[in-house]
Amino acid sequence: MASKSVSQISGSRMIRFKLNGEWVRARVHPANSLLRVLRDTLELTGSKPGCEAGECGSCTVLLDGLPVTSCMVLAGQVEGREITTVEGLSNPRLDPIIASLVEEGAVQCGYCIPGFVVAARGLLRSTKNPSRQAIRSGLSGNICRCGGYSMIAKAVMKASRRSFTGGHKHSRLSR
Amino acid sequence: MISPGSLREAILALDKYRDAVRIVAGSTDVSVSLKDGNLREEWLLDISHLDALRYIRKNRNGTIHIGALATYGDCIRSNVIQKNASILVDDFLTLASPQIRNLATVAGNLGNASPAGDAIPPLFVLNATINLESLSGKRELAVQNFFTGYRHTEREPDELITEVNFSPVRKGELTFFKKLGLRQANAISIASVAFWGKLGPGPRFTDARIALGAVAPTVIRATRAEQALTDGEFTPQRVREISKLCSLEAQPISDIRGSADHRRRAVNQLTQLGLLELLERLKDHRTRSSS
Repeated sequence: MASKSVSQISGSRMIRFKLNGEWVRARVHPANSLLRVLRDTLELTGSKPGCEAGECGSCTVLLDGLPVTSCMVLAGQVEGREITTVEGLSNPRLDPIIASLVEEGAVQCGYCIPGFVVAARGLLRSTKNPSRQAIRSGLSGNICRCGGYSMIAKAVMKASRRSFTGGHKHSRLSR
Repeated sequence: MISPGSLREAILALDKYRDAVRIVAGSTDVSVSLKDGNLREEWLLDISHLDALRYIRKNRNGTIHIGALATYGDCIRSNVIQKNASILVDDFLTLASPQIRNLATVAGNLGNASPAGDAIPPLFVLNATINLESLSGKRELAVQNFFTGYRHTEREPDELITEVNFSPVRKGELTFFKKLGLRQANAISIASVAFWGKLGPGPRFTDARIALGAVAPTVIRATRAEQALTDGEFTPQRVREISKLCSLEAQPISDIRGSADHRRRAVNQLTQLGLLELLERLKDHRTRSSS
């Protein structure tokens, strides 16, 4: 049997989900990826397509508060769920993770960074004062082809102390 | 894509579409098939909204139950799993990445039936049972009888995996899981070894189960090694012998991740590593209890 395209398999339907704190509706092919819906339908291009096979982490979003690769989530599966993308993190003030990445000079080409930011946010939600090892494991699903891992990990450590001590008011960038 | 609102609706849809439908839960396998254009089925049955199947609990009689929609992440974070089956936590932390572990389900790994499916070897040694449900009723199958060949299982096209359950690991029982992948995260197993053993009176195992992953068309038990282990005392001198036996029971193939010879050696080394760690744990335990 010849394989069918996504639109043949799934038709199209209206879905409703909470995106960055607000309910949205979108007409989608339910077997299309959430990543494609975010980027192509809703024009939120912060989540980056890398491998689109669940291996590089550049498309990471929070699904009901937990980090997941949005290329692996089918659009039809987010009906009624809560999604947070990198765009939803800096409201109203710059996220301490982003501020720390900039201060530490941890960003090279930058393509992987939105994925790292969201994965780090997911990690800091569940682990309040992570060890170096916890940060390394928490970010192990994200690949940086510039090889900037140690600076990224250092920045997340810095951000964790900020979040832990109650916010990011010490950041130069947040003012 | 069919999105049933209840278990009943899901089972009715399965009964209707059978082989023409692919069940989707965490979608980490299906998404890859969709991307590669090699999905054979005509329809998708998305069960991800059946929240009643997302549970991990301990029953009054002590058995541990993992619902079909419980993810690896759910298991790792679960007190029940941490306390009663830490081998699963050890295993799942080596599996894929944090992001994938928050999507992929244990039941999905069983249904997909890859010989390199990392959830399978520990469930073999825990003697787990799989619950299946269809319009004609429910049935239970031992995990070890579930796999019939490479990516083939006993599941009938109209059946849904609803749960996997097993007895807790009790005091006096020891376990380990060891895996070799090409890197520490997001790597498919080249070979893996899961172990469960019940310590007898004295330094010997009265019962032992060893399962090998990624070295045969399905996960397999290393029964000769198990027999040899329970036949004598558990001493450092015997670790090499038992590990060698395990590697001889592997029937690996050569592929892009490693040659058959490499896989056999890996089984040998992983078993040695695990058994030597058990000996250390026993030594520490004796030192503590005698002081």
